[in-house]
Amino acid sequence: MAKGVKLALAGEGGQGVQSVAMIITEAAYEDGREALYIPNFGVEQRGGVSVAYVQISDEPIGSPKFKTADIVIALSDRAVRRTKRYVDKNTTFVYDSGIEGVEDDLPTHAAKVLGIPAIKVAKEELHPRVFNIIIMGAVIGATGVVDLDRAKQAIEKKLGYKFEKDPKLRDLNFKAMERGIELVKKEL
Amino acid sequence: MTEKPIQGEKRVFMTGNEVVAWAALAADAEIMYGYPITPQNEIMHYWTRLAPKHGRRFLQTEDEISAGFTTVGGVLAGRRAFTATAGPGNTLMQEALSMAEMMRIPIVQVVTQRGGPSTATVIYSQQEVTMTCFGGNGEGARIVYSTSTHQELYDYTIKAFNTAWKYRFPTHVLGDGYQSKMRESLTMYDPQARGIDMVPTEPSLGNEGTPGVDREPNHLRNTYNTEDELYDVVTNIMSDWEKYAPEIAEYQEYDVEDADVLVIAHGVVTRAAQAAVKELRAQGKKVGHFRPVTLRPIAEEQLRKRVEQAKSVLVVESAYGQLRKILDNAIYGLTTPITNFFKPGEGVTADEVVEEVNKLL
Repeated sequence: MAKGVKLALAGEGGQGVQSVAMIITEAAYEDGREALYIPNFGVEQRGGVSVAYVQISDEPIGSPKFKTADIVIALSDRAVRRTKRYVDKNTTFVYDSGIEGVEDDLPTHAAKVLGIPAIKVAKEELHPRVFNIIIMGAVIGATGVVDLDRAKQAIEKKLGYKFEKDPKLRDLNFKAMERGIELVKKEL
Repeated sequence: MTEKPIQGEKRVFMTGNEVVAWAALAADAEIMYGYPITPQNEIMHYWTRLAPKHGRRFLQTEDEISAGFTTVGGVLAGRRAFTATAGPGNTLMQEALSMAEMMRIPIVQVVTQRGGPSTATVIYSQQEVTMTCFGGNGEGARIVYSTSTHQELYDYTIKAFNTAWKYRFPTHVLGDGYQSKMRESLTMYDPQARGIDMVPTEPSLGNEGTPGVDREPNHLRNTYNTEDELYDVVTNIMSDWEKYAPEIAEYQEYDVEDADVLVIAHGVVTRAAQAAVKELRAQGKKVGHFRPVTLRPIAEEQLRKRVEQAKSVLVVESAYGQLRKILDNAIYGLTTPITNFFKPGEGVTADEVVEEVNKLL
């Protein structure tokens, strides 16, 4: 990635979009790049769509929020509707193909609209708990903002204490990330 | 004294609220007084986590009126004390801040601006400019640093303690909800290792000896019996204020020398203005940016010079003219046309600034 990338990640509370944003920006920071991450926050403590705004660049980053993103990732029906506003003609819009009832809500003016079966793969092939790591893989696959090894190091830093107790979890997480990359690359 | 919280220099990636807590530690702040309010909360959270490890203290009060006055009390006792708040909390703190102005009590207040008026949003705005600079029943003898990056949050939180204790005016670090909650990188450092010595503190109350016998009495008043008494006191405060204002005022300039259009913005909005100027310059357009770092006092002389040079001025802020009022006061009499781009309670992007500037070219 020569220039910067702007990314909006949205999902339901608990789907882990904020932790994905956190791990990716930390990985980019560890890589010596400029990274800025801001969660949306409001008065609601529960419910509502959770959005993470991420910018990674080789140059100092301007305003913390942005009008339109290079990549939008929406993980629920409400998230699809909420994040349409961040789409312009250069945006790659990624959503989970298992979301029902959003056919008419998908953006029509995006550069690309990609449906990936992340929820299904998490449930059937891996484990529902690594759903957000599949999504992290999808972000990496779509943007190349951080390389796979650096992303793995960032996960190790975050979850290493859990991996110590159960090394199988490490494989599961790394597998999830690789699957996420595959899923999005197949569609690109 | 326990071990220094930061040895040498350290590159980190964290939220702005965490930055403020670390900066206060590095600046040898001894105690924080506060009451929870979003988006300021994590300054308190991080401080309460870090402070005990370094022999520092914290008091949670029953509200912001009390947080303001306990900070005043801590300073009167000679402690390097601070508080942090936002929005309606800042409103409640104004009475203590006026007292600090009147009695020259060097308290430090960090403000993380949220939307207003009233409860409004807990997110972001630049709508606490007027209140932070001029709130309370006084003349606004306060120093206000408006930060734009995590590095500045760190630098100016440290500096605020020194400015406050050097000049004995209440000093404010004016951030916002975005800066509080976003994560970006910065370098933290031990101020001393960079040659920054902390200005020593001294108690105003509880000094050794009997007043009038062993030492001069320390006469602390914020109540006066006659109009002429008060007139003398306020005139002296404002005469000091005017004397020191030029050396306190800070600003930054970007490509202003030959600028036809001058963009003026402060705080986090300067980031959008800087990016916009860079983009427009790359297209060969003569656009510059003047950024007041101190909103109070404002760098009047330099501001007037740049406004006078420009053919047109664009004022950009996440409020409905609070910066504009300060500017108008400073540039009174100049005839350069001024256009407003006001977004009260909402962020500003570089693309928007570019669009607005293009309308003026």
